[in-house]
Amino acid sequence: MKAIRASFFQMTMILRRDMMLFVCCLAPIPAGFFFRFAIPFLESLLTEGFHREAILSPYYKLMDILFAVLSPALFCFVSAMVSLEEADEKTAVYLFVTPLTKTGYLAARFGLPSAAAFFATCLLLPVFKLTALSPLILFLLAAGGALQGMIVALLVITISSNKLEGMAAAKLSMLTIFGAAIPFFLRSNLQYFLSPLPAFWIGKTVLQDSPLFMLPALVLSALWICVLLKGYLRKA
Amino acid sequence: MKLKHLFFMDMRFQAKYGFYFLYAVLTVLYVAILHALPRNWTENAAAILIFSDPASMGLFFMGAIVLLEKSQHTICALAVSPVRAAEYILAKTASLSAVSLVVAAVLLSAAGAEHFRPALLGTFLSSVLFTLCGIIAAAKTASLNQFILRTVPVEIVCFVPAILHLFQVTPAWLRYYPMNVCMDMISGHSVSAIGIFSVMAAAAVLFVFSKYRVLKMWDSMGGANL
Repeated sequence: MKAIRASFFQMTMILRRDMMLFVCCLAPIPAGFFFRFAIPFLESLLTEGFHREAILSPYYKLMDILFAVLSPALFCFVSAMVSLEEADEKTAVYLFVTPLTKTGYLAARFGLPSAAAFFATCLLLPVFKLTALSPLILFLLAAGGALQGMIVALLVITISSNKLEGMAAAKLSMLTIFGAAIPFFLRSNLQYFLSPLPAFWIGKTVLQDSPLFMLPALVLSALWICVLLKGYLRKA
Repeated sequence: MKLKHLFFMDMRFQAKYGFYFLYAVLTVLYVAILHALPRNWTENAAAILIFSDPASMGLFFMGAIVLLEKSQHTICALAVSPVRAAEYILAKTASLSAVSLVVAAVLLSAAGAEHFRPALLGTFLSSVLFTLCGIIAAAKTASLNQFILRTVPVEIVCFVPAILHLFQVTPAWLRYYPMNVCMDMISGHSVSAIGIFSVMAAAAVLFVFSKYRVLKMWDSMGGANL
């Protein structure tokens, strides 16, 4: 545990040097203000301009999901970038043979940032949410978001072996988050083609206000994380 | 000749690191999105997709490209070779613009756009501007996170006015803003000679600045000033 803590603080030092720590900690707040105030303002402008009753408001629940995933995605994305640098500079392989071990390294790089993001979301989402979400859904949404952030980061480091591949993988893995939008836009059974994505079930949970849908989201997230962890540990 | 070799080397580098695979996947996805949208939305959606992804890929990926070249010591080799900074920049710009043009052509066909040639020219010009901005930001960075952070203001300055301009909510004088001119071309609106001139002038200024940044980067390679 001591090694994991030390490794986590070492990463925060790197992020502080790049100013990224500052951005990570602060960015969800202006983003929250944007979601909470700018989007309803835009909605009023758009509905007036296009003479329609609602344009963005039917998707406010989706905005809440995106905000719930924002902090974890941000925290885990910057951790993934640090891991890519460490893989390129070969420092990661040296860390694996220290008391930190491979799993400790992953816990320091992705476990702790996800946990921090979970707490940040639990604090910020009730303040900046656009729709009425029950405390249970809020909690589950924060948990689902944290796991989704971890999946994105693990995808990046598992399928790529250098910075450039990492950026390409980041672009692709971020798309998994948009699985949450599918239940909002695709009402036919065709939507279930994307049901292996945990984000799809997070979308269904919020859209139908049914916490039961979080069960497949959590099970699928665990499966994705297990498979990706296995893949990374085999590769590293 | 050196430029041709650099161009093909860059293309091999991009192919090796999964660039083309990524854009093949993204193109399929974008075409699916365009087909799923109502018919009257597709042209604007295609313009936004082209402008925000294939055209701007140089800005998004340049940090990773330059940092990988630094860690593989390719830049040290280039710095002592007869290759000139201008050739290095032109090869990168041309190779990334080529990918942008192919992806944009597919998206324009999927959207059923009739203004094919001006849209491709707009894609090419915006790709050049974005790639040059990417080189300027990447040449001085030491880590990916630092690069990502540096590109955020560039993205805001480039994307926000252009997307607002597409929906005609910007003041009239902003139609000469280089990014808005490019967006006009991609979305099939007519552009004035002054607009084209502003894009060319922006490209020239960015080229000169990126050349200065690349030379500085080459000079500082190896831990000491050469």
